[in-house]
Amino acid sequence: MSTADVWHYLLLGLWTTLRLSLASMGVALALGTLIGVLRVSPVPPLRWFAAGYVEFFRDIPLLPVLVFVYSGLPKAGIRLPTSFDSAVAGLGVYTAAFVAEVVRAGLQSVHKGQIEAALSLGMSFFQMIRLVVLPQAFRMMIPPLGTVFIALVKNTSIASAIAVEELLYQAEFVIGRTFADWPMLIAFLLYLVITVPLSGLVNFLERRLRILF
Amino acid sequence: MQVQERPWQILVGVGIVLLLLPLAFHMKAARFAPFLELSTWRFLFLGLLLTLEASVIAILGSIPLALFFALARHSGPFWLRYPVIVLVEGIRALPLLGLMFYLFLRLSALGRALGLAAVTRPDAAVIVALWLYTGAVNGEALRAAILSLPRGQWEAARSLGLTYGQAMRLVILPQAFRRALPPLVAQFATLVKDTSLGAIIGFIELYRRGVIIFQGERNPMETLYVVSVIYFFINYALGRLVDILERRLGFRRG
Repeated sequence: MSTADVWHYLLLGLWTTLRLSLASMGVALALGTLIGVLRVSPVPPLRWFAAGYVEFFRDIPLLPVLVFVYSGLPKAGIRLPTSFDSAVAGLGVYTAAFVAEVVRAGLQSVHKGQIEAALSLGMSFFQMIRLVVLPQAFRMMIPPLGTVFIALVKNTSIASAIAVEELLYQAEFVIGRTFADWPMLIAFLLYLVITVPLSGLVNFLERRLRILF
Repeated sequence: MQVQERPWQILVGVGIVLLLLPLAFHMKAARFAPFLELSTWRFLFLGLLLTLEASVIAILGSIPLALFFALARHSGPFWLRYPVIVLVEGIRALPLLGLMFYLFLRLSALGRALGLAAVTRPDAAVIVALWLYTGAVNGEALRAAILSLPRGQWEAARSLGLTYGQAMRLVILPQAFRRALPPLVAQFATLVKDTSLGAIIGFIELYRRGVIIFQGERNPMETLYVVSVIYFFINYALGRLVDILERRLGFRRG
């Protein structure tokens, strides 16, 4: 295996890591926003369920979740074609708990008067959330969502345990073939190329928001 | 819209989640049979002890490391400050699993060269990786705590004639450690979860023992369900401890 081959596999892995991160973040944003909204809904059992979801997934490791989804989804009647899709489902469900907390904090940062005004105009709870609260809360949510996304990018490495051919998986594969350990350092560098600019961006946005409010 | 659920309400919610999971995934009661035997629990308990042992070693070991990182970054000379910044930010920006895997490669090579069998084992790589990672995270927590103290504390200490070292040791650090205590406990909960990554490189802790059980019994969902519930209860208890500490020490947010 030549040096060019090593780079080839690692860059393939990087591409999969990026796709996995973005797809999982999509699932996590959709599900997490729903749960975050349920967290402040007027129906107590829904609030408890949402709070329970967040608490449960924040308190357990990701690895059993991924393996559970990987082995369990077919038995629940959901057949996903590849382990990549299982990883998206598992990472999405897990990360949704962290997104939900950000959404809840964002929703609660909106001034009470806004909510009262919307409700007194005759809006329903979901209209009020969708049209008045979420657009305003969204700005507050961007930096913490960035932090969640960085953690997600790092967490995609755990999908190597269910044979998703992402960056860490490819690094291990290449090391198994070449018996050299420098490819892992290249893989580290590639991870840093994603995570370091992202955390710089998050810091920048945090400073900007602090000035705005 | 200020909603703060009470602990019992959150636990009811967790109960709903724990009821929905077996229904959604068609788990079979018969497949929980291994968990009616004491020997299964003994087997898992030994793994849990190893998980806690690795976490305790990593958290205790991380304190001096965190102190070094925080002080070097806060007030170290430039030739120490910048390498420490790169190291701390680098460790925090890398996936922990990758760090474990790499350390496992390096340490097993080192162990063979030195003829030390203990260093070649995955346990060593797992603990060193957790230690480094936790040191970097706690170092930042400690530095944040130092920076959060009012300037007057420094000014008062220095104007009383204390040297930098005396002011740090006698005035600043005792207060900073108090403030860093809740994040330290929260970090311990994270460690308990992260130790499960060691299973991938062969550390036989709680999760890995769960895998061994389900490979024999062919009941992956049911076993992973039980294992996850064990993790949940430990970390839920640690989370409440963080709440209590934050209230007691009088700087609870919100």
